[in-house]
Amino acid sequence: MFDSIKKAVIAMDDEKTRESVSIALMKKSDPVEILERGLIAGMQEVASLFARKEYYVPEVLLCSEAFYAGFDIIKPLIKNSSRKPRAKIVFGVVEGDIHDIGKNIVKVMMEAAGYEVIDLGRDVPVIEFIKAIEKENPDILALSSLMTTTMTHMGEIILELEKRKLREGVRVIVGGAPVNEEFAASIKADGYSPDGVSAVKLIQKLVSG
Amino acid sequence: MVCADHGAYLLNLKLKDVAEDGKKLAQAIQHCYELYRYDMVLVFSDPYVESQAMGCPVELDPYPTLLGPATRHSIDRTQEIILAAKILKTELDVPVFVSIKGPFTLAAFLAGIERYLKIILKKEAEASRFLEEALRHQLQYLQSLLALGVNIMIGDPLASSSVISPRIFFKYAFKGLQAIVAKAKNHGAIVAVHICGDVRPISKYLDDLGADILSIEDVDLRTRTLKMGGVGTNTILTGDLHRMRTEIEEAFKNKNLVLSTTCDVPPHTPPQHIKAMLRIAGERADDME
Repeated sequence: MFDSIKKAVIAMDDEKTRESVSIALMKKSDPVEILERGLIAGMQEVASLFARKEYYVPEVLLCSEAFYAGFDIIKPLIKNSSRKPRAKIVFGVVEGDIHDIGKNIVKVMMEAAGYEVIDLGRDVPVIEFIKAIEKENPDILALSSLMTTTMTHMGEIILELEKRKLREGVRVIVGGAPVNEEFAASIKADGYSPDGVSAVKLIQKLVSG
Repeated sequence: MVCADHGAYLLNLKLKDVAEDGKKLAQAIQHCYELYRYDMVLVFSDPYVESQAMGCPVELDPYPTLLGPATRHSIDRTQEIILAAKILKTELDVPVFVSIKGPFTLAAFLAGIERYLKIILKKEAEASRFLEEALRHQLQYLQSLLALGVNIMIGDPLASSSVISPRIFFKYAFKGLQAIVAKAKNHGAIVAVHICGDVRPISKYLDDLGADILSIEDVDLRTRTLKMGGVGTNTILTGDLHRMRTEIEEAFKNKNLVLSTTCDVPPHTPPQHIKAMLRIAGERADDME
């Protein structure tokens, strides 16, 4: 049963995923098990396929759609369960930048890995990141930018965190097409990752370190 | 590749003003050329000129942003690009390249990027219709550019293997690129193809595009075609001289290369970083003689 959910996610089949999750619920399966052994297991395989360059962005987008088709059914049931997220992440695309496909893919990888993601969306002003850090007290702040014109806002956000003495309480990671390790180091970010798979690995390292 | 956004920054102009006015666009590009004296100029204001002309809503201030898929309301800035190209062709004695979008990327802009990346797998007929529309437009636009006697730089960022598989590249992006390259070359233009990010998985197709130059990040890739690149955009932005020198040294080992940044120079790059790159490259070239 869990295997058919997993296979439906990998097959990019949102209808089949929805159907399989509904059947599992009808058979009184635990929603947390459906999530972990079905949906998350599926997305973990998708992540491996992406890392091996067998899946690319279009395939991952469709798998994410299938994941959420199932996740939306069980989400209200899981909220009442005892499942605790591994860490909390505030995530957004910086101001002036509305490219959020990459962010959305990374988000689904993070959620599939068991992290709670507070998604601020795209074109997020510096002050909104600060407010979210103050309100949510996350373990990780993840920043995305797809443009050379907007990537400099990442440094501004880190400076603002320092100014408000919030920097020590949160690890900042950055990503997006024009960003790389050197840029991350130059703005004093805690890490850079080129894609969702490595972002999850980086977060695992940062929160356990 | 220094583009108009850097020129606008240096001249304290809004990019919007430059992107909407061919004279100002030419002024920004000429200003950069006179300041740095590199070996070619590129007429490029932003990636959305053609998609806006085909009905996509675009916001230009403060940064060029594609707001959504094509609607019925179009704004045609291609005439401003043509005007800028005409002015620069007259004023400068270096090759003038004009940037046009690859049909695959343009099709994605028209359909909405995320939607297009999904329909190429699930609704192939619909995806092909967008692609045909994009190619038809680009061949017409190309015709008006070739009449000016300029050279062509085709930018197809979404055709990158950072986004799509080699199978999808061959099925959707390859033929359109090849058609534009062939038409431009038939008119005697020099043609460069720029694809950002990872191109290693599609390396076997790159020479068959027929372009004169491949502007790619991975300049160590074995191709028969002349490559262009070598210095990272982050290197030029941060101005790390050690890294810049290392990248230029590496680039000079590759005889089949036009030294350039791997993508657009970020607009707020301090001019001394660009001058440093040219100075280091000049010194290295002198050493070789």
